[in-house]
Amino acid sequence: MEIIQRNARTLVPSRRKMHVNLREFFAEHVFASIWQTGWLVALTGLVAWYTFGQLRAAAATTAVVLIVWAVTVAMTAMAEAKKEHTPLTFWLKENMYNNITNIEVTLFLVLLILAAVRGFYQYAWVNATFETDRITSNEVSYQSTVPELLRSDGVDLSRLPAGVPFTRDVVRNPAGTVIQQKTYIKSADDPNVIAVEHREVHTGATWGSVIANLENLFIFRFKASDLIWRVYASVALVAVLALPSVFVYRDDRFRKSWTRRILSWLWLLTPVIIFFLLYGFGSTGVLRRVDPDQIWGGFLLTVIISIFGIVVSFPIGLLLALGRRSKIQGIPAWLTYPAAGLLTAYLLFTTTPANVAAARSSFEVVLAYWPLLIPLIAYLFQSTFNGNVVATFSTLYIEVVRGVPLITVLFMSIILFPIFLPSAWTFSKTLRVLAAFSLFSAAYLAENVRGGLQAISNGQYEAADSLGLSTFNKYRLIILPQALRAVIPAIVGQFIGLFKDTSLVYLVGLFDFLMVANTISSQPDWLAIRTEPYILLMFVYFIGSSIMAGYSRRLEKQLGVGER
Amino acid sequence: MAQGSLNPPPQPRGFQVPSLLDIRVLGVLAQLVFVVGFILIAMWFVGNIFENLDKLGESQFICVDGTSSPRCAFDFLSSDAQFPIGESPIDYEPSDSYWRALAAGALNTIKVTVLGIFLATVLGTAVGIARLSPNWLVSQIAKWFVDLLRNTPLVLQLIFLYFSVLLALPKVTEALAIPGIPIFVSQRGVNYVSLAYMPSAATWAAFLILGLIQAQVLYVILGRLQEQTGHEYNRLAWAAVSFVAVAGLGWFMSSNTTNQAILVKNSLRLQEFGDFETVTLNRFGLNRLGEIDERLASGRLTQDEVDEKAISICALRDSSSIDNLVAQLGAAGIPYTVNRQSTRSRTTTAFAEGNCDVYAAPTAVLASERDVLENPATYTLVPVRETPVRFSIPRIDGFNFVGGGKMSTEFTAVLIGLVLNTGAYIAEIVRAGIQAVGKGQSEAARALGLSEGQRLRLVILPQALRVIIPPMTSQYLNLAKNSSLALAVAFPDFWQVANTTVNQSGRSIQIILIVMAYYLSISLLVSYLLNNYNRRIQLVER
Repeated sequence: MEIIQRNARTLVPSRRKMHVNLREFFAEHVFASIWQTGWLVALTGLVAWYTFGQLRAAAATTAVVLIVWAVTVAMTAMAEAKKEHTPLTFWLKENMYNNITNIEVTLFLVLLILAAVRGFYQYAWVNATFETDRITSNEVSYQSTVPELLRSDGVDLSRLPAGVPFTRDVVRNPAGTVIQQKTYIKSADDPNVIAVEHREVHTGATWGSVIANLENLFIFRFKASDLIWRVYASVALVAVLALPSVFVYRDDRFRKSWTRRILSWLWLLTPVIIFFLLYGFGSTGVLRRVDPDQIWGGFLLTVIISIFGIVVSFPIGLLLALGRRSKIQGIPAWLTYPAAGLLTAYLLFTTTPANVAAARSSFEVVLAYWPLLIPLIAYLFQSTFNGNVVATFSTLYIEVVRGVPLITVLFMSIILFPIFLPSAWTFSKTLRVLAAFSLFSAAYLAENVRGGLQAISNGQYEAADSLGLSTFNKYRLIILPQALRAVIPAIVGQFIGLFKDTSLVYLVGLFDFLMVANTISSQPDWLAIRTEPYILLMFVYFIGSSIMAGYSRRLEKQLGVGER
Repeated sequence: MAQGSLNPPPQPRGFQVPSLLDIRVLGVLAQLVFVVGFILIAMWFVGNIFENLDKLGESQFICVDGTSSPRCAFDFLSSDAQFPIGESPIDYEPSDSYWRALAAGALNTIKVTVLGIFLATVLGTAVGIARLSPNWLVSQIAKWFVDLLRNTPLVLQLIFLYFSVLLALPKVTEALAIPGIPIFVSQRGVNYVSLAYMPSAATWAAFLILGLIQAQVLYVILGRLQEQTGHEYNRLAWAAVSFVAVAGLGWFMSSNTTNQAILVKNSLRLQEFGDFETVTLNRFGLNRLGEIDERLASGRLTQDEVDEKAISICALRDSSSIDNLVAQLGAAGIPYTVNRQSTRSRTTTAFAEGNCDVYAAPTAVLASERDVLENPATYTLVPVRETPVRFSIPRIDGFNFVGGGKMSTEFTAVLIGLVLNTGAYIAEIVRAGIQAVGKGQSEAARALGLSEGQRLRLVILPQALRVIIPPMTSQYLNLAKNSSLALAVAFPDFWQVANTTVNQSGRSIQIILIVMAYYLSISLLVSYLLNNYNRRIQLVER
């Protein structure tokens, strides 16, 4: 025991002598090459220039940062020289002060971050107003009767020297900065004329624009109607389901229990219930149908579109994915080619001569022979898809939809739905956009699900077949549970994408979150104010997406994707 | 034969007639039903389309001769667009056709896409590497950058950038610039120094190509000599020197005095370029040009007085002749003012009315324009030296910049927005790619004594590329598709122009078809190119 202790002491001496060879250090870390020296000189110049600038702008904080930096660098350097690190110096050495470059970069970045934080703090708090009724312009009025002013404002203006501004009625924001003030100036020519200037003086954010529009931003016109209870009921429904879920899904005792099954079915039904709660039935009563174009809006619409989109696109995407992978016996070649040949010949003899005769340019003459493309299409259909109609349709659908931007699909839904359908069938704009979102999302979802299906080994299919399961049961019991589990994180990722993409509907004129934020800038009280609502939106989207992304990561770990 | 009677002879498979209840036959029948049903639905759609279009009127398919036929569905493309486009790489006027408008939009989209892909790759790689930096602060900042951009909608980023950042910049007259660098950032966009090509630039370009070829040839020949004799040559230096020699020779050969000229009144007594100095000194009553700046500095002269007495030049806006002349005047320290006109005839009129002393243009143009003037004999044509390429530096003229290159605010917003957003996604791809390379590779590189840069460049990145390329392809495609969001900040990209065309002409189906064809072909092209590249990378690696 004693020997071990003695040995340990010699191995790790409590105080080791510092041995620093500065010449060696510089030779290795500064003067090793012309590039290294040049880089360090340039970096040091930049950091020194920036630090001096910051010292002038915010002396106290910069000085504190500089001192803390210098002390920690010295501590780390000493510890390194002694080869005796405390946890702090070890962390600093590993993560901030690895080499000269990083020592300087750390100082630079800390100052940069501080400057950014200070700038935002000044903008969002110190110089900001939170008033919801705003003085929109500098109101200047001229009053010629001094006694009246005396009475109304309680100021003895008769003693005010002429031409000198006198400020009172100052309004301060919570940070103590003056944001509104009234200034009186007595005219030098006529002591009875006094100019009163009532103005807003601040350089920061005007949060009132957001605060006054919070209801607009989140539930839009629902707030004005008597139907607001439907929104509350929807939220309540989710809350009521969420509460037991916390226990039922966490606890392993409920695995395979009826409680969990019923709860899962309720969760599946919730989107449908909420959709009809918000949409309504019939033409009268508390549950009467609303016009979504008029009533749905704000963050509520964003949530409706993203949830509706993912729920409706799921079955379609699943079918498309299965369709794309289907290997069923296709239409045989001996049927395809003769049929294609006959069709080509028929069209060539019936339409082409007339089209050639009517052609106005050589380009149109070439176009008239379009039936010749049919054999080519037939060949591609046979060679690529073995005549499998289901796979052809699914693949084409997925690739075409994925090849065009979402915004074009949305415009198509607005413009083309009414043209494609009989004129008697009319849908509101919102419903058309919902349909477009679902159809668009289905193509991407299909690719995610296909990824999951590809991850299933052939053995699983063969095992299911050898058990004598029907195709339907094979997929229901064996393949899909495994495939879907593997792609749940990807589907959550897609839901995040959908959640963000809903902001595009403002471009087709729906009043979603972003559109409502845009309209604030045209309200008379908040003319040209855009930044504040945008910051709120960024915040909401960021929080929403981050929570879901975090959930997806946790799920990935829980499900052990890639481990099973 | 007895054996044969026990086992019936196998029938050829092709002749087997399967029963109608065979699952495969049913499958095929179902597919046929599907095809027929699909065709029926499509026909129903087409029927609806024609019915609905009939209600809209015959105008959808109107021909040039006034009749109506589906054959003429796309004829409207050659009629006048009648809407303006903010910016376009090709000349476009509202009186041009829809075709040209769509082409201008398509070129704008391609411009923003190509530039965006390049810059996003650079940014994404940098941030992806920063994400793995040993400096904790650097990696945290990179992480927040990526998270912030990935978790907020792109369209929100675009309009925030446009309305809250770019439009909040200073006015043109107070444009931001780093002293000494001629790049000006203002509300109206970015004005930067650009190259102005004179007509003789083509000659010089030919010399440059010649130089490149001969340098390459020299490089190869020296390589052969080295192999034969064993004598070591500094091949790169020789090739570079010979290239510079040819390029320099080309510069002097193509700089000539016959291309560019100025037209001046005889009364100005300006016979050659050198006389500019005498004329200016006479006007100011000074002995040295340097005195003008001295007096300006000491306040004895105001800028207005200088502008009044300075040589004034009439020129066509954005012509290279004015860049050529102004660069030489600036080098000689001669003060000048420029009177820019939008068309050739307006410039001539302005000069004829005596608005300026000098008319700068190519010699051929001046020779013909001089005949338009009242007394051609009272004007002298003075040749001006021309060099193939000159810097064109933006200058504030009134309330706007003239000269140099320009990126509009809308273009800047779309470009920066797309680059930041795609860059964030690419950063994650690059990070994952680098992390996919085994730790042993890094350790081996360090053990070999490679520097951090060499380790990344020679060992890690080539291997990471294999993992990076496929997801990168889909990011590039996303960027190409996301460029359609330019609509939000009114940048006239393809989709914005197409949208305006739909509103203007009412031809929704035709335009939608064109738009789909356009985006699908871009998607196909990009994935084809990158798949090819991917295949090459994979081959090299194995």
